Amino acid sequence: MVSLNKTVENMTSLINEGSSEKSLADIKAFLAKNSGNCANACDANDSPNARPVAEAVKEAGGYLSTIWNKTDDLHPWDTGDNYVCYLSWSGEKPSEEAARELFKAMGGKGGVVHVGGIPAIIPAIERLQGLRNALVDFPDIELLDVQSADWDTQKAIELMASFITRYGDKITGVHCANDNMAYGVVEAFKAEGISGIPIVAFDGNPEAVQMVIDGTLLATVFTNPRWGGGIALSLAYHAAIGTFRPSEEPNEHREFYGPSIVVTHADAVEFKAKYLDATPTYDWNDFWGLSAGGIVYK
Amino acid sequence: MARQVSRKTLLQWVPLLVLFVLVIFFTALNPAIFSLRNFARIAITSSPALMVAVGVTFIIMGSIDLSMEGAVSLGAVVFAFSFRYFGGSIGNWGWLALPMIVVFGAAFGLINGLIHVRLRIPSFMASLAMGFVGTGAAILLTGGNIVKVDDELFRGLLTVRYLGSPIMVYVAMVFLLVGAFVQSYTTLGRNFYAVGGGEDLAHASGVNVGRVRVMGFALAGAYYAIAAILAVGKIGQAGSVSGANFMFVSITSVVIGLPDYVQDGMLGVLVIVAVVLSTDRRAITIMK
Repeated sequence: MVSLNKTVENMTSLINEGSSEKSLADIKAFLAKNSGNCANACDANDSPNARPVAEAVKEAGGYLSTIWNKTDDLHPWDTGDNYVCYLSWSGEKPSEEAARELFKAMGGKGGVVHVGGIPAIIPAIERLQGLRNALVDFPDIELLDVQSADWDTQKAIELMASFITRYGDKITGVHCANDNMAYGVVEAFKAEGISGIPIVAFDGNPEAVQMVIDGTLLATVFTNPRWGGGIALSLAYHAAIGTFRPSEEPNEHREFYGPSIVVTHADAVEFKAKYLDATPTYDWNDFWGLSAGGIVYK
Repeated sequence: MARQVSRKTLLQWVPLLVLFVLVIFFTALNPAIFSLRNFARIAITSSPALMVAVGVTFIIMGSIDLSMEGAVSLGAVVFAFSFRYFGGSIGNWGWLALPMIVVFGAAFGLINGLIHVRLRIPSFMASLAMGFVGTGAAILLTGGNIVKVDDELFRGLLTVRYLGSPIMVYVAMVFLLVGAFVQSYTTLGRNFYAVGGGEDLAHASGVNVGRVRVMGFALAGAYYAIAAILAVGKIGQAGSVSGANFMFVSITSVVIGLPDYVQDGMLGVLVIVAVVLSTDRRAITIMK
């Protein structure tokens, strides 16, 4: 709300609880309540759900920015002005950097397991691909297993316990597709009384950054959700009040990557002071200032 | 008659037989399955689910309770907050949160039961709605974040082991026995069976059916709270998803574990079934 100089009362948070159906139903109800006179920033929960959400918003005449999830064949510019923009983070490059940190900490040899996100969704695919890219340069590291724990801490505990049963001492490093699952991996090791195995994660949540400082995690990747959520809403809002016309913008202004930073033990304290303890001020009218470029499809 | 008894006995032991077959089958695929460490892992996974399942047994005779996911989530969140409020350690006043949350859970269940019995709303609707209220309240309280509980003493539930298993497994066993005792040896427990066996008959025999039902929901709520404590002990954090996935496991355990022979007080079967389900899910991961 800071991004629009408005108070919290002007905003409604709709929480989808990991359900695409709830995500769509909540947005439809919200549109009906405001007769479409609203700006939305939405993570549609999974890729296919972005289309019905975009169509519902267009039909109601509202304005929408989506984050993270959409299918490759859905583009904001195909639907005129109502679907303002799509913002995502390329998981591949930062995930690869984190994997390299992990492999260095493992001494360039041993076995690694990947605790993955919900299989069909883009960030999960990209983060795994980043790991695979890094593996090419480390021939003595074996990728023991790749399984999904659906971004969930609880499931990650059970998955990691299974990995320990199956691979035991062969596991010398863990690559997680997000922070929440890394918490589960840490707990699974704790339950077994195992310590000292390097773990890398993704998202840069405050708890995870603290764990990097404490040495429980080796590294995490910060995706600046504050800027991402703020700018997505700012874009939808300014499109709604007519500050700019989305259809007059080039494609790389309507589908773009947000910035990401790999946080390691060496820079975690500094990072925490800058991004977590203090709130960096952003120019919310500089829509694409921090963008890491237009989205590239393979 | 003899034939009938043997069939009944056989039915009772089917879950255990299935467990044996599963263990043998998966051990053949990967010998690491058959180890004390792995059994301990399965026990840890099953403990909170087992507490939820025991709670459900107080209700499933005649009604159904679908509020467990919301109840566990809310219980976990309220527990984590009050634990921190009281000092954040078992060593100081943090322990107060333990009995408090069990009472809280019982009150949650009591409201659930009163809505069902007094307002005459079918139990699946009343309890499902209360479950959503629980999840919603947990989201409101946490704002979607997680609440960490990292007191070393409390986490001893998971990290301190006795004979290979963490303390939380023994805690679950104790409350399983308490549940079995309540069902088999108390008037209230026997009344649950009476109401489940035939509500009209129980009413005609002078049992206050409504009161028994409400008490069942309250007891279930207390067990969900215990499940919430174990769930927090297991993962060291509480959040609006702490109760996720408990509905399927617990209802399935109870339905498979307690069909016709409820009068036998076959609570023990539940343990087996909870373990079966857990083994099954884990084994799929282990064998890919």
